[in-house]
Amino acid sequence: MKTKDDFPSLNERPAEGVGPDGVPFRVLIVDDSMFIGKQISQILSSEGFEIAGICADGAAGMERYKELFPNVDIVTMDITMPKMDGITALRKIIEFDKNAKVVMISALGKQDLVKQALVTGAKSYIVKPLDRKKVLERIVAVLNK
Amino acid sequence: MRVEYINPFVEASFNVLREVLQSDVKRGELYLKSTSMPVMGVAAIVGLAGDVEGRVLFDMDKPTALKVASAMNGEELPTMDDLVKATITELANMITAQAVTKLHELGFRFDLTPPAIFTGDNMEVTDQDVEALIVPMEVPQGRIEINVAIRERS
Ligand SMILES: [Mg+2]
Repeated sequence: MKTKDDFPSLNERPAEGVGPDGVPFRVLIVDDSMFIGKQISQILSSEGFEIAGICADGAAGMERYKELFPNVDIVTMDITMPKMDGITALRKIIEFDKNAKVVMISALGKQDLVKQALVTGAKSYIVKPLDRKKVLERIVAVLNK
Repeated sequence: MRVEYINPFVEASFNVLREVLQSDVKRGELYLKSTSMPVMGVAAIVGLAGDVEGRVLFDMDKPTALKVASAMNGEELPTMDDLVKATITELANMITAQAVTKLHELGFRFDLTPPAIFTGDNMEVTDQDVEALIVPMEVPQGRIEINVAIRERS
């Protein structure tokens, strides 16, 4: 059987999604676009993150956060969603857990909403179209804050 | 229709398509169509309301939609399922968001309706009293027409 030791140079770079204790970071994804949800989930899973849940609207995302708590490390939050928008969901999550780490996912041209989200307590934001590098950079930066 | 409205859509389509498909995009010749027109099979439509009103249609045939969605997802998507529709809708979203940001900078004020997607054969779109400008975009996956009908509110 081949073990990790057979590929000494292959895994030198630690996966971004795993904490110093070797335990994966747990991510909750809130986005009404199945495409974006899947894209974020693929990028993060490939770096060893654990996807704790994917929710398609703000209300479901907020409920899920409460269910998962404290076993959730970070949330990606879309802004425009049916039922409950991302800023309202963000506010409710922060009310419930003032240390929640929430990263907003925004379309271009929503600066006012992004500002509002940052004032409300979002830790960072990522503008679509998403690419792997951008997503990982922002998520890792927030986790290391 | 004033040409100021169309340029931001041309630019945004070009930029976003190149970025999400990671490939060359060629812009075809702009042309004008009036009243009703058939669409190619898959159409994402975004409405605008404010100082100006109208709609932007992202029109392509089904094989193109499947190939574009497959490229954007990094996997083969052979049928017109919910993921394909969500992907094309998001593409329309990203292009419109970029174009509208530019239009807002130019001083136009309006809001967008969330994109809706239509699929089917023999579809036709009818715009009342407004002509549509069409910008064809050639990507390796096929041809996508950006069909813009906007007018100032009277
Ligand atoms: Mg959304």
